[in-house]
Amino acid sequence: MSSTLNFDAVIERYSGEIFSYLWRILNGHEDAEDCLQEVFLRAYRAFNRLNQEANIRAWLYKIATNTSISFRKKRIRRESQELYVDDDLASPEPSPSDRTESKERLRILMQAINNLPNRQRSALMLRKYQELSYADISEILSCSQESARANVYQALKKLRSMVSEQLSSLE
Amino acid sequence: MLDEKIFEQHVAAWLGEEGSKKGEGEGLMSALDAIYASGPDAQRTLRAQEELCMKLAETRSPRLYYGVMQKTPIGPIFIVVGDRGVVAIEIGVKEAEFASRVGRKFKAVVVRSPERVAGVIKQLQEYFEGKRSSFKLNLYLDDLSHFQQQVLLATLDIPRGQITTYGEMARRLGKVQWARAVGQALARNPIPILIPCHRVLASDGSLHGYSGGRGIETKEQLLLLEGAL
Repeated sequence: MSSTLNFDAVIERYSGEIFSYLWRILNGHEDAEDCLQEVFLRAYRAFNRLNQEANIRAWLYKIATNTSISFRKKRIRRESQELYVDDDLASPEPSPSDRTESKERLRILMQAINNLPNRQRSALMLRKYQELSYADISEILSCSQESARANVYQALKKLRSMVSEQLSSLE
Repeated sequence: MLDEKIFEQHVAAWLGEEGSKKGEGEGLMSALDAIYASGPDAQRTLRAQEELCMKLAETRSPRLYYGVMQKTPIGPIFIVVGDRGVVAIEIGVKEAEFASRVGRKFKAVVVRSPERVAGVIKQLQEYFEGKRSSFKLNLYLDDLSHFQQQVLLATLDIPRGQITTYGEMARRLGKVQWARAVGQALARNPIPILIPCHRVLASDGSLHGYSGGRGIETKEQLLLLEGAL
């Protein structure tokens, strides 16, 4: 029974940030909610086997990363790589004349993010928006800290080149 | 090997370089921020957390399975089983009310499952056809008081076709003064028919009462079927 109580505390403490991570990885898509449930169901089933000393936050992020990758795969099969642009994500711009152009830029950027390898996208979101340490990210991605850093670096480098390529082809 | 701070400076420098060209470096970071920095809105997060808690509560609740035996001499019989045996039987009730009432009573998720109750229905079928005098099933009575369990289990010793009285039951349990308590324990029998409380009558031979189906009429039907009347 104590594990049930402890797991309630885990939900209370981490479900918000895990949801924001899934929202980012899944581009605000409506299946983020389903994915959150799947993550915590998996965690719940494995919770009793978890080492008392384990880094629960990193462990949850690891489950969330793996689950979100399979959700993305399912969605890609379902929507045949059609890009999902949520209006919530494409934030409104002040000037209406700029709106179309800036929306187009955001669309290009999101397309580029969608085309990143899963590990690079995860590493970028974990570092930049979830604000995890490279020690945690290396645990989540089961790699060395150097490799975790390299994934963030490569993600940014790739985004830059994909976005500038697209933009120059527009001009 | 890069130190974390140095690495961040590298990334920042690289982005700055791009930014200084009025290129996509800084622009990239602020565009990323425009998309991702805010995160999901608070209401959506709250709703997602509520849905999550509901889903988990459902997973944690025990599951019970029920099925209906439609054609019997005493009307439809609803059977509830759990992992540890038969939990409840109700006679002639409405399905929707029945399922939600059982769910509330046992704090369980109640799922219709003809397969899970097939074994019970088979034995009941044989019982109604006169081919079976006792049931070989696990009965789940753990939620009841020790006294009520004793009373209910004692009725299993009354063979098909025979009857006894509340007073006699009390005497058998060594509690001569407790005939009324025995009556109350039997009135709250959660598994009628399988636990044959219908074989216990008042000391004057009257049928007294029956909580299942159409009450005394159902009790009489069962006793007639068993050849006790």
